[in-house]
Amino acid sequence: MKKIYNNEENKFSEMLKVLKELPKIKAPDNFEYNLLTRIQNKNFGKTEKERPQFNWVKFLAPSAVVISAIILFFIFFPSSQENNNQILQRTKLQDKQSAVNNSTSTKNELNNQQSVPSSTNLQSNPSVLLGSNDRAARPGVRSRIYDSRSIKLDDYISGANKNQSNTNRGNIVNNGEEPSQYDGLIVSEKPDKKTLERYRAVVDSIKKAQLKADSLKKVQK
Amino acid sequence: MTELSDEDLIKEYQDNNTPEAYDILVKRYKDPLMNFVYRFVGDRDICTDVVQDTMIKFYLNKDSYRSFAKFSTWIYTIAGNLAKNELKRRRRRIIFSIDNSDDERSPQIEDKMFIAPDKAADGTIRNEIIQKALLKVKTVYREVVILRDIQDLSYEEISEITGLAIGTVKSRINRGRAQLQKLLKHIYRE
Repeated sequence: MKKIYNNEENKFSEMLKVLKELPKIKAPDNFEYNLLTRIQNKNFGKTEKERPQFNWVKFLAPSAVVISAIILFFIFFPSSQENNNQILQRTKLQDKQSAVNNSTSTKNELNNQQSVPSSTNLQSNPSVLLGSNDRAARPGVRSRIYDSRSIKLDDYISGANKNQSNTNRGNIVNNGEEPSQYDGLIVSEKPDKKTLERYRAVVDSIKKAQLKADSLKKVQK
Repeated sequence: MTELSDEDLIKEYQDNNTPEAYDILVKRYKDPLMNFVYRFVGDRDICTDVVQDTMIKFYLNKDSYRSFAKFSTWIYTIAGNLAKNELKRRRRRIIFSIDNSDDERSPQIEDKMFIAPDKAADGTIRNEIIQKALLKVKTVYREVVILRDIQDLSYEEISEITGLAIGTVKSRINRGRAQLQKLLKHIYRE
């Protein structure tokens, strides 16, 4: 091992000779005087911990984090605020209520034998009247009922809505896979009990007349 | 008292706080430390400050010296650490300074091409070239090369100063020498 390093030293012998010949640097004459003065004055400034200098990198890194946090907060903040928006909540409630009312009214028209449930019962427990196949009863399927597309039944019957030009209106037929944007006769107001009974009486009389006609046909045969 | 060894002097200074012992040690080591730090840093003013700081540290932390170590290795360790810190500080200053010149960043060894051989033989210029070449050598290699080939310290002493294994010290010295020889090739052309 020693031989290897001795060989190495021989390899650099010329350079080592030059390095050894380099003049020795000496301390200035006043070195000791300055040192003693510093000690007497207790001027140890440089050996003490230096005050940290202003560093742009150290300053910019945390400020960049803070700024990005603020930006992210403002990006996600409106979505959380949306939940507190009372106007939006009201429209959603209206959507739900109208969906329930719509399904019950269609059921009532088809099934005239059943007794009419009170509007309070409908609101308190709508699932009683909803079938499993009803769109409003299906979880995750949301009926798209737009206020702009709904019309008032009373106005429709009386013909008061004839002058209104609703450009969004139109019948949309689809295969039932997607939530339909149907343009129906959606009652946006509470259904009047008397009106409902009147319609039910009309339907009943039609059905009775049909039954009578059927029985007469049988007699004739 | 001047005949006492370094270790005896420091013991005297530690036990009795004798200022004379401190003065003698300062006188003994100011020049070797100046030479070591100058070759390492390459600036006379900075070198003086570093050695002054070394002596101040010695004055303030005399009790941190343990008698099992050699005084020379202890004081060289302090000086070496301060010199390395100074180099780091200078490097940082160069990075952040707006109008940093290339001369400050790296010594222009390439200038050697324009020095006539007769002038290169001139001692002052040659020494200057060697110093600039030394500063071009990597810090880790430079330190050990200076301690070994300029300060004439043993491998064991260098190992103690740097805190490296003797094998590492030897390999670093060889690498440093190789780098230096490559840089000083032109000096041996004649």
